[in-house]
Amino acid sequence: MSEVSVLPLPMRELRDFEEKNTLLSWLSSCDHKQLGILYLLTALGFFIIGGCEALFMRIQLAVPSNHFLKPEAYDQLFTLHGTTMIFLVVVPTLLGLSMYLVPLMIGARDVAFPRLNALGYWLLLFGGVFLYTSIFFGNAPDMGWFSYAPLSEKPYSSLPGVDFWALGLFSIGIGTLASGINLIVTVFTMRAPGVTMKRLPLFAWMTMVNSFLIVFALPALNASLAMLLIDRGLHARFFTPDTGGSPILWQHFFWSFGHPEVYIMVLPAFGIISEVVPVFSRQPIFGYGFVAASTVAIALLSFAVWAHHMFAVGLGHAMDIFFAFGSMLIAVPTGIKIFNWVFTMWNGSIRFTTAMKFATAFLVEFTVGGLSGVIFAVVPMDWQLTDTYVIVAHIHYVLFGGTMFAIFAGVYYWWPKMSGRMLSERLGTWHFWTTVLGFNLTFFVQHMLGVAGMTRRVWTYPAMPHWGLLNMISTLGAFLLAGSTVLLFWNMLRSRRHGHIAGPNPWEAWTLEWATSSPPPLYNFAQIPPVHGPRPLWDLHHPDQQDRYLNK
Amino acid sequence: MALTMTTEASKAIQHAATFPVFTPHSDYARSIAGLSAGVLWTTLGILLLVMGLVSYAVHKFREKPGASTPKPVYGNVKLEIAYTLSFIVILGVISVFSIRAMESSDPPTHQENSLLIVAHQWWWEVRYPGTDIVTANEIHIPVNQPQQVGLRSADVIHDFWVPELGRKMDIIPGIENRSWFAADVPGTYLGACAEYCGQEHAWMRIRVIAQTPEDFARWEQEQLVVPATPTDGDAARGAQDFQQLSCASCHTIRGTAANERIGPDLTHVASRQTIAAGRLENTPGNLAKWLLEPDLVKPGCKMPNLHLPREQLNSLVAYLETLK
Amino acid sequence: MDVQLLENSAEGLLQKKTLLATLLFVSSEAIFFACLIAAYVYYASSSPAGPNAQKVLDPLKTGFYTACLLSSSLTVFFAERAQRKRKPGLSRWLAATMGLGAIFLYGEMHEYHRLLNENVTISRNLFGSTYYTLTGFHALHVTIGLILLGIMLVISLKKKMFKPQQSALECISYYWHFVDVVWVAVFSVVYLWSTQ
Repeated sequence: MSEVSVLPLPMRELRDFEEKNTLLSWLSSCDHKQLGILYLLTALGFFIIGGCEALFMRIQLAVPSNHFLKPEAYDQLFTLHGTTMIFLVVVPTLLGLSMYLVPLMIGARDVAFPRLNALGYWLLLFGGVFLYTSIFFGNAPDMGWFSYAPLSEKPYSSLPGVDFWALGLFSIGIGTLASGINLIVTVFTMRAPGVTMKRLPLFAWMTMVNSFLIVFALPALNASLAMLLIDRGLHARFFTPDTGGSPILWQHFFWSFGHPEVYIMVLPAFGIISEVVPVFSRQPIFGYGFVAASTVAIALLSFAVWAHHMFAVGLGHAMDIFFAFGSMLIAVPTGIKIFNWVFTMWNGSIRFTTAMKFATAFLVEFTVGGLSGVIFAVVPMDWQLTDTYVIVAHIHYVLFGGTMFAIFAGVYYWWPKMSGRMLSERLGTWHFWTTVLGFNLTFFVQHMLGVAGMTRRVWTYPAMPHWGLLNMISTLGAFLLAGSTVLLFWNMLRSRRHGHIAGPNPWEAWTLEWATSSPPPLYNFAQIPPVHGPRPLWDLHHPDQQDRYLNK
Repeated sequence: MALTMTTEASKAIQHAATFPVFTPHSDYARSIAGLSAGVLWTTLGILLLVMGLVSYAVHKFREKPGASTPKPVYGNVKLEIAYTLSFIVILGVISVFSIRAMESSDPPTHQENSLLIVAHQWWWEVRYPGTDIVTANEIHIPVNQPQQVGLRSADVIHDFWVPELGRKMDIIPGIENRSWFAADVPGTYLGACAEYCGQEHAWMRIRVIAQTPEDFARWEQEQLVVPATPTDGDAARGAQDFQQLSCASCHTIRGTAANERIGPDLTHVASRQTIAAGRLENTPGNLAKWLLEPDLVKPGCKMPNLHLPREQLNSLVAYLETLK
Repeated sequence: MDVQLLENSAEGLLQKKTLLATLLFVSSEAIFFACLIAAYVYYASSSPAGPNAQKVLDPLKTGFYTACLLSSSLTVFFAERAQRKRKPGLSRWLAATMGLGAIFLYGEMHEYHRLLNENVTISRNLFGSTYYTLTGFHALHVTIGLILLGIMLVISLKKKMFKPQQSALECISYYWHFVDVVWVAVFSVVYLWSTQ
């Protein structure tokens, strides 16, 4: 069992092959690794912008009846913050990681369509920049990131902010769609010999399933945006009630996209955790089959639960019960994964690198967020708690405590592969603890604020009992969180010059991306080891203890 | 413009329940609160289980120096099926209780509304069907009498929410939604609009004042009285100014020519606890501030700044103060 | 160590990749049209005041143009078969497909012209909004298809088509079939169902 396979050299692409590192070579790159890094850098930039937006909001909310910001400014901030974090930070980060890692994990040289990959990236960047140019036209969008009608229609939003939002999102959406198609085709057709679908690393598997979500959810967004723009620009009547239109129809269309979108933001994060926890526990993932199958269950169910965002609309108990049922059901495949990850640690030999710290914290934080989600599936509780700060707490627990923590874990895990150098574990530990403290201070109290009756999207609030205190705690936590992020950036900058050289496999990990140098050469692999299971490098180094589960 | 906290915090705010979602004052809210307690304890239990397992694993399975590679464990199908089924059962039980609470907190409605609320950007028009009573932002009800409220919107989507008294219900333009609430004990119950509706969503607050049947009957009588137009002093001048300035083009004062519904009905404005939908406590000083600079008190509100000279301001306030 | 050099199957891979990508793209567009059709059906069921399908649409005339579009699916199939089996006639069949597609578009424009003359605009009422949006986006997709077919026609007039261009033709023909299937749905809903 010592044969190695060699990938065929593509006919034309690498003929004039030379590793360049100029600005122009980066801007014109079609290499999946460089594009992955461009995605990540772009997301980083928007993360700083979105974070500053959040800080301004938290300053305004620190005390009751504050006048630090005018309401128009606050409304633009919360709209931009939501739109930026979702479309310009989380999704691009996850796409960037996918673009970088998936070809490596399956033993390919690049994605299926390298130029399409570049197009996807540039459409994303263009859309983001276009969205923000709205500021220079006097009015950033201010109707909330899900833009309910008729507030988003004329005459209630007669300034062009909504149009900038819609057109920017069109561009971003088409770019994301292109990337989704690219990733599916890559995983289906470009796997190296031996890499069967049942041997995919779970990050690649979840990326693939996630990409189907992208392909089927983004068009609903495009349709919604088209109808909204036609309403606003051509005076059509889709969502304007004065002329027979239905605001509720907007909500149905938007959430048909919007709900799968939140799973788009979380499935690749699950993939990261599924890579990091096993490697640092020195155990294979507990229940590979269950984890892979539950991902498909989530993807299918995610199209059947959208109206749980509309329980307060008055759709009628029958509709509410149907969607509540689906929402309860989707909690099952999501929840059992937590147990699979915990049991991966069982009887392991855990190394608490920073990546593993974040992955472990993810397990708890995401459980909090997931359970608050289950609470919202209990319709009468939703009738009290929706549109309050409990929702704000929920979304931030799943998207920050969940996805962002997973992203941090992924950054610490794969930074050595991408840059060739290690991040400092000391700085990483500081980053970790300040993040955990800052995050929980900021968002845990928001559960209490919601139960205290504080509604969301309010630019200020009256001096109700303890609202001032709870908000102040949340604001202080936000500043701590901001500070902790600075630690991460410093760690990254410092590592470029002073980080230890990583070598090909500093973590003794098992998937194919670790079977090449750090960073990988442009052509990814000169040779790849034989693949007989999901952990090729484990099998290689433990020939007497090769993975024996699932059909080979 | 120093609007200090003590000006705004009326007694009702100071004595408000800290966690109104858990201080129900109607059967509707009680059924939700009861369900919520059960669900929260259950989810807390699940969270503690996960935290316990993680803590245990973190301590017990930490890498020890000199340890060899652990023997791989690939899974345990029986265990996985067990926790999957357990989770399904727990959620199933919660669902059963949830559906029951849906029925009790949101019973079917019928044709007759006891209240009709029209939500505007950013105030509440309150009508009592079957009577001529129209008020704004402050809703009086008799205790222990379930109120079916018809909810309509004059513009965008709003949401009516008084947590101690019942569920929240979206208000969709073009549709009349109906919802139930009640109060078991006399008092002031605070709520707010709970769907982002534009710039001053934050200051679209609701006040429900539950009264004994006698007090409520007295209130009704007072509301039905058409106030006499004052004939001398500042107030008389104010009454004239009200009609001549553009006030009458948006507001109603019964017994006068002012009969518009663009802004709140002011017939008994002096009897209310707050003005500008909870933005300010209703005092002459605050009323003057509001009339002088509505765009500073509640930026974005539809009431224009008329740049009133001092004297006109004072006479208008004097007039409005007579509208008890 | 044995080093195994794999067969150079780049061309077969290209065909597989582009076909899968086209199928995924077309599925995505199907969802897009499903949303627009849903909006049309929702509002048609609520019988808006003013002009509606029953009053202003002519299923018979549009049926003729539909027949042209559907025949173009057949001609593009022949074109693709000619190229696959290296038989002559590729350019001819491509031209025929384009011609039939162009006739369809002409019919669509004629219909719009007539409706606009009767003051049935996109802002007139919900029939106008949903009708123009749905058929308009479909016409846009037809136009894009015609452009793609045109490019293939020009390429086919050279002596030889290389492998990438052959798989491009296959993908374009699938796209064209998709455009036709969408029209079958749109025609059935708009011209057959909502005119009742």
